[in-house]
Amino acid sequence: MKALRQYRDLTSMQIRSMRTDLPMIAVIHIAFSVGLVLGYGYLIPDISEATATYLVTGTATQAFVTVGLVMLPQMLSQSKAEGRLEYYLTMPISRELYLLSLISVVAITSLPAVFFALAFGAWHYDLSFHVEPAFIAVAVLAVLSLAGVGVAMAVWSNHPQVVNGFTQLVIFYVLFFSPVLLPASQLPDLLEHTAKLAPPTYAADGIRGTLTDLPSSNVGKDLSVMGGFAVASIALSAFAIRRRG
Amino acid sequence: MVLNSGLPPVLAVSNLVKRYRNGTLANDGISLALQPGEIYGLLGPNGAGKTTLVRQVLGVLRPTSGSISLDGIDVVADPGSARRKIGFLPQGQCDFLGLHVSEMIEYSARLRGMSGSAARRRRDELIEQLDLGSFATTQMHAASGGVRRLAGFAAAIAAPARLLVLDEPTNDVDPIRRQVLWNTIGDLGQQGATVLLVTHNLAEAERFIDRLAIIDGGRIVREGTPSSLRSLVTERLRLELSLSGDVAPHPALTPEPAATGSYLLDQRDLAAVSGWLHALREAGLLLDFRIGPPTLDDIYTAVVAPQRELEAVL
Repeated sequence: MKALRQYRDLTSMQIRSMRTDLPMIAVIHIAFSVGLVLGYGYLIPDISEATATYLVTGTATQAFVTVGLVMLPQMLSQSKAEGRLEYYLTMPISRELYLLSLISVVAITSLPAVFFALAFGAWHYDLSFHVEPAFIAVAVLAVLSLAGVGVAMAVWSNHPQVVNGFTQLVIFYVLFFSPVLLPASQLPDLLEHTAKLAPPTYAADGIRGTLTDLPSSNVGKDLSVMGGFAVASIALSAFAIRRRG
Repeated sequence: MVLNSGLPPVLAVSNLVKRYRNGTLANDGISLALQPGEIYGLLGPNGAGKTTLVRQVLGVLRPTSGSISLDGIDVVADPGSARRKIGFLPQGQCDFLGLHVSEMIEYSARLRGMSGSAARRRRDELIEQLDLGSFATTQMHAASGGVRRLAGFAAAIAAPARLLVLDEPTNDVDPIRRQVLWNTIGDLGQQGATVLLVTHNLAEAERFIDRLAIIDGGRIVREGTPSSLRSLVTERLRLELSLSGDVAPHPALTPEPAATGSYLLDQRDLAAVSGWLHALREAGLLLDFRIGPPTLDDIYTAVVAPQRELEAVL
């Protein structure tokens, strides 16, 4: 009960402390997602239903990636460099609940872009999605695994510039070199194999497996791997912020 | 200030050593004990090791050796329990930019264990006490530096704490609210709170401090009450000078590094310096001057400057 109250206070404190930025962040991510759905479509004039479905679900995954694996680590590393993170850590709060509250804010921030990517894509390409109950588990684990890795990057690095640079690489990789927006079969062998080590791969596959009839999805495996990434990254992050120099 | 010297100290630091991984020795055998209700000043130049000491007391940095006990809790072994007993105002950022000033105070109280209604009552009390009413719904990023500082101070004292660690609490605060803030710190001491106060604003702080330590090079180089430390420089006077031209100071004057136009002089040189001042006035070069007894600033200068000179020679 006490933990629940602390989690609620931490989450609402973070949402309110970002009250000026959150609407703008949400709008930018919505615009980015809608832009991707449209822009990639221009590259393929006679896009097939399967390709459009792949593109739209990939864009929805990208919304989770952009917030969890790009925006969150950038914000957190900045907060760490400016001493704000340490101020949190001087308070009598659970480190794990603090991390969980951060990740919850990320989830809330990314949901509008995910929704708009799917809704706009379905309308624009005349697609229909069948939402399976497991989609909720996929979405939760996608956020936990991506944001978990994002948090781990931020807390293990002492240089915000390095984190910023790395997150740019992440988004570049996801957009052009991963099976999030491009079919794995079209990637070179090296990228196809290395994609197996990247959590966005499983988030994209899980989303496709629970929203579409696209072949070769293994939702059980996706959930397991994302769960592993989530547990490992949050444990590593909690360990990092528990360390005392 | 309610000093209960018969009781065990609220904060006891013993032989504390902190050597960072890069080899820097930031704390070199620091020992101190803060009695219940005591306001204890920690003074020292930049890089002296004050922040390192504070971070270890707060349990966010592990000492290389030595012990820290807060109200009987071993801070090194159980920092989580110790944090429940500390209110902290950092020197750097402690604000969350989009929060309202009132929310900053309320959330701090809630996260430090107060119930929702008690936290709101305390928030309203502090807003009134610190004259923050007109800024209660101002977002922290839109508030002035002084208001943000006061909000941080209010957040630090929002919940009951055995130890308050206040790092430069008056930075950027306007003179009127600064007075209110010092009075509040004084009241907290009267009510039995133990305060570890890190400050450079010695002139203002000395009225409230019970004891102080001057820390330099990671070691405590002097510790005592303001009056006992003042005896270190009783032979000295402080001269504040305002001159109209480029005039070399009298050889008997020792400039204070931190304050332009401020000098220390030995009482035995007073006659010679008076003659020099008279001559300057006759020449129309003396705009204003003021001679007074030594302050904590002078003690600080007298203790730290020779130490630095010695280190430079070695």
